[in-house]
Amino acid sequence: MILHIATKEIHHNLTTLRFALMIILLPVLFMANALIYSLGDNGYTTQIDAYNRQVEQNRKHIKEQADMSLAELALRGPGDIPKRPSRLIFCAGGVDEVVSRAIKMRSDGNISRSSGVEDEDYAWRHPLKLEYQIMPAGSNSTRYIKINWVFIGVLMSFFAILFTFDGIAGERTRGTLSLIMSNTVSRGQVLLGKYLGAFVTLMVPLIIGILMNLLIILLVGNIPFNSGDWLRILGIVGLFGLHISIFIFLGLLFSSRVSNAITSLVWLLLTWVCLAFVFPSLLGIFVSNLNPIPSVDEISMQRRAQLDQIDDEWREGPSPKLKKSPAIERPSVARLWATYFTEISDTETQIADGHIDRQLQQVQLARDLTQISPIATFQYAMEGLANTSIVGYMNFVKQARRYRQTFIDFVKTEDRGDPESLHIYPVKEGLSQKPVDPAGVPVFTEQISYRSVLSQVGLLVLFNLLFFILAQVSFLKTDVK
Amino acid sequence: MHTLWLVIQREFVSNVLTSRFMIGFVVCVLSTAVAVFVQVDDYEKRLAGYNTAVREAEIEAQEWDLYVNIKPKAHRKPNPLSIFNVGSENDGANTVTVELGKPVFELPFPIWEAPTQKRGSDNPFLAMFLTVDVVFIFKIVLSALAILFAYNTISGEREDGTLKLVLSNSIPRDTVVLGKYLGGMLSLFPIVLVSLIVALLIAVSSPVTDFDGNAVAHIVLIFGVSLLYVSTWYLLGLVLSVWTKEAATTLILSMFIWVILTSVHSNVVTFAVDKFSPRQSEPNFQVLQPAFEVWDQFKNERDAYIKQRGYEDLQGSISWEPGTNSTGMGTSSMSGGYFIIERYRVTNIDKADTTIFQEILGYQEQLRVEYADKTEEILNKPAEEQERNAKFADALSRISFADVYHFAAGAMAGTDRQRYNDFIESARAYKREIVEYLKDKEAFSSRAWFSTDKGTAELEDLPVFQHRRLSLSESFSDASVDILILLAWNIVLIMTAYVSFLRYDMS
Repeated sequence: MILHIATKEIHHNLTTLRFALMIILLPVLFMANALIYSLGDNGYTTQIDAYNRQVEQNRKHIKEQADMSLAELALRGPGDIPKRPSRLIFCAGGVDEVVSRAIKMRSDGNISRSSGVEDEDYAWRHPLKLEYQIMPAGSNSTRYIKINWVFIGVLMSFFAILFTFDGIAGERTRGTLSLIMSNTVSRGQVLLGKYLGAFVTLMVPLIIGILMNLLIILLVGNIPFNSGDWLRILGIVGLFGLHISIFIFLGLLFSSRVSNAITSLVWLLLTWVCLAFVFPSLLGIFVSNLNPIPSVDEISMQRRAQLDQIDDEWREGPSPKLKKSPAIERPSVARLWATYFTEISDTETQIADGHIDRQLQQVQLARDLTQISPIATFQYAMEGLANTSIVGYMNFVKQARRYRQTFIDFVKTEDRGDPESLHIYPVKEGLSQKPVDPAGVPVFTEQISYRSVLSQVGLLVLFNLLFFILAQVSFLKTDVK
Repeated sequence: MHTLWLVIQREFVSNVLTSRFMIGFVVCVLSTAVAVFVQVDDYEKRLAGYNTAVREAEIEAQEWDLYVNIKPKAHRKPNPLSIFNVGSENDGANTVTVELGKPVFELPFPIWEAPTQKRGSDNPFLAMFLTVDVVFIFKIVLSALAILFAYNTISGEREDGTLKLVLSNSIPRDTVVLGKYLGGMLSLFPIVLVSLIVALLIAVSSPVTDFDGNAVAHIVLIFGVSLLYVSTWYLLGLVLSVWTKEAATTLILSMFIWVILTSVHSNVVTFAVDKFSPRQSEPNFQVLQPAFEVWDQFKNERDAYIKQRGYEDLQGSISWEPGTNSTGMGTSSMSGGYFIIERYRVTNIDKADTTIFQEILGYQEQLRVEYADKTEEILNKPAEEQERNAKFADALSRISFADVYHFAAGAMAGTDRQRYNDFIESARAYKREIVEYLKDKEAFSSRAWFSTDKGTAELEDLPVFQHRRLSLSESFSDASVDILILLAWNIVLIMTAYVSFLRYDMS
């Protein structure tokens, strides 16, 4: 019986204006998306080329330094850590569209400041620290909605509303609802039949669009998908399904609550506009305003003050602790310099890490709260699967920090193997002057975790259940006449 | 006249009594309030950043004792109207450092010692959320409301059977159309007005905003254009309502058009032009290459001049008192390839005669300024290309009147890209002003160019960068094209509605 209602529903839908509109719009958007991301500049190919160049450059850089000496390598660091571009960026842009993802872990430029003491001619490098270069990726990135799968998903929710708003109310006005109910069919079955009908009507064109999109990307864009990517795309199709189904239930809920179809459509459209456009962005930015973080000026002032204080104490004040430059013959001086460097590096790391952590937490909180809107939840889940989410970026930052520690540990371990070294990190003179094997230097590899998507999927399922129950209860209570 | 008034009144009352009016009212006012609240906060932050930057620049200016060291800055002052329309207020550079030997330009990638700097935003990750401001809310929510008010004006009455009853009276059809239009607009008017008043109240209650008469006039103008925009949507709904037989079809069709015009069209266009720009500039450092060659020419011309004056090099033009034990001249040169700035230090300067040296410097430094201008022309090309692409995208976006409204509001709030380009242009003018000022003072050939031993540089009356806001008529003329387009849409739609309704088949 359910199937019977569903088929009837599908047949009815196929002949409607809204179906025609959807059939026109979907392929256009999918084609635009595929062409823009596979042919346009800044597509995956350009990004992966830049990424590979960076990796190659790092390899060369490490080899050069390692051939010179361990000390040189220890001070110059392994180079910038690029984030591997996501192959699924056409699905969800996320953080990748907003900020460039590379963390600098390289120290360049010698410093020597004359201060009237003996260290005047000593040129040194600041010890290795992580610099988060979070500059805007494009100038007009924020004002435009990206034409990616997330956007298409948002439009699909719009169509879901269009296909369901008259599901119950329409039949009621036409008088067919009481005819259906006069058969031996339960209300639950009618609801499910309507649901299935709308779901199939929406999903089939969507899947065809997705296949077209992927075909173009594979043929034209030359993006090699591996099995993991296919799995993720499958997951994304699943997300589309969950997302669409929420709005079908929502549509049926409104449709059974009100007396005529058009009122239900008006209410649904208002709800949709709020959920899709106004609510996520406005609430997100509003929440982050409630949780203010220190401004860039404040941070840089604080940093300068702390560094000046350290410099006063060690090098530039009336009685500086560092009077001589470090040398192999003067281990005690080298130790003093090591303390100085460590203090600087600890301060800088603490401030920089603290700053980016607070920025990320602010966004994370805002994002968590905006998940009350199913559209936002859907978007974050998509970004999670495309590995462009804020959680993914946080993981990347964590791994970069861990990599820095691994690198320092590697330097210390290697250094212990050299009996001639003073074993004083991070002073150049205190470390081994012998070359090391470049192959042994640890290389950054990113571990991508998709676990964060689970919570969003859970939330989407919850939304489904909630609206299903609401729709069911509301339909049970509804008057068929 | 009386019948027209009756139709208006009836339409108004039937709109206001519906739930969609109440809901639309609440949604619009609430979201406007939140958006303004957020944007006021953002504006305060920008203003604080600007004030800090200006203060720091003043302190820095006190330390200039040589003419060669001066580096005046042009700061972009945050625009108070950005509370209503953010536009490109947060894009691009907000500080231009004017250095005599350096061109003023922008490149899409960071370069060393770039003349245009952007003060960092407090949290760049927040850019993941769309910027929501009053104009955005009007563009999206008000337009949707206008459609929700208009969809059933004709087709709905037809379904209810009341249209026949109305027309069976002695009312001409044009009165019905006009009455329905005016009645609908009358019911939308309070929503726009109250939203804007709430927005103004929140904005004014912040201690940092001080709107002068000019700003208020601009806001009133934005209000007027917003009404024009809402009217366009209402008319579109009306036309579709005449064309379709059922109210549901009207609503589906107009919402579909609404989705396309407000969010699909301009995004696809901008995105596509951005990614397939017809004129693509080199995205990397190669654009700097021709600039390097310019500076090679500079060196040649400079050396030629020194030779022509009869000296081997610059140092040769300085003569010391006989018996000075250490003579010489040190040059510290800073070069980023696209500029070369040189500073000179003469040893035992109190015993040196630098008259000719100063003369040569006077020639050389002005030559440097000329070469900086030449480099500017070359380095400006990528930005010009980009601007042309953006203009092209804008022109294509104007097909949708939602974007026309967006551009008009941006032009009137003074937050569009044109104002930003004006800022860069006025920074260039400021540099020329400084050059003229120094020329008048003969600073290029003065001793204080390189040495403080006979008095430091006198910079008390050094020009300060002045920020200019546009007057009402200027912004109006900037926005006039867009306003005219909106007006044209209104006229076309009202004519279409009228003609279609005259031919409307009642059966």
